[in-house]
Amino acid sequence: MTFLSDSVFRMIVSLLTAGVGGAWVVHELVLMNRLRGANTKDPLVRDQWFGYVIGIAIGVIGVVGTLRFNGVL
Amino acid sequence: MASTATATSELAAPAPRRVVPIINPANAVTASRFLTLPFLWWAVDRGYHQWATLFIFTCAILDKVDGLMARVFDCKSAFGELFDAIADGICFGFGLVLVTAYGWAPLGPVSVIVSLGVLNTILRFVYMKRAGRATNYKSYAMERIVAFTAYQIGFATSGMEVRFFYWTFVPIMIITVAYDAKRMLIDPVPPASGARP
Repeated sequence: MTFLSDSVFRMIVSLLTAGVGGAWVVHELVLMNRLRGANTKDPLVRDQWFGYVIGIAIGVIGVVGTLRFNGVL
Repeated sequence: MASTATATSELAAPAPRRVVPIINPANAVTASRFLTLPFLWWAVDRGYHQWATLFIFTCAILDKVDGLMARVFDCKSAFGELFDAIADGICFGFGLVLVTAYGWAPLGPVSVIVSLGVLNTILRFVYMKRAGRATNYKSYAMERIVAFTAYQIGFATSGMEVRFFYWTFVPIMIITVAYDAKRMLIDPVPPASGARP
């Protein structure tokens, strides 16, 4: 039982993944940029930095996976 | 002069703690996430991939809406944060196990992911014991991992590059849990007054 055609469903999940993944990478880069000049010895700053790096990695994986799904990679 | 003194003493007095009732709009939205689970199970059981994707998507969206409700209705509470974390664990844990049980996700990476999730929960209890108070270690990386977990279930229900997404998720999760383990078990616990929200 489906409510969308396969091609439309495929397009929606691709947009939801690559779109959010790409926006996520930009968002994390902006947050990282705001941390520039902060005291890197502060554990809270290090936690934030690490979290943003993980966020970027996840975003990139989302974009790459979507490209693979659509046969681009 | 007297009014200045009164004003000063009023400023110096600690503000009364606002009691947020347990039953509030934000917690209601959090609880409503559980309602998506029987429908998710029904869709997976029948092999309805699109419906299953819609239900896990609804569950993930409600996870974002409850935080919004807490801000809009000013009903943020420690219980609400804990309830939200518990709901994340139950909903996404159930979703992962469900899609794996029906063969929609590979068992190997899911076993590692679920094991690391359980380990992370245990570490949080150890951290609380070290701190000597009810506190939650705020992990920026784990917040992102939890969001990605919802996506993982969606990848399984939609059949989208399932093996690629699950196997790339494993090293990211290992690195994050290892980093958080060091922070929770070895690094000094910050004092309560300076604790992060």
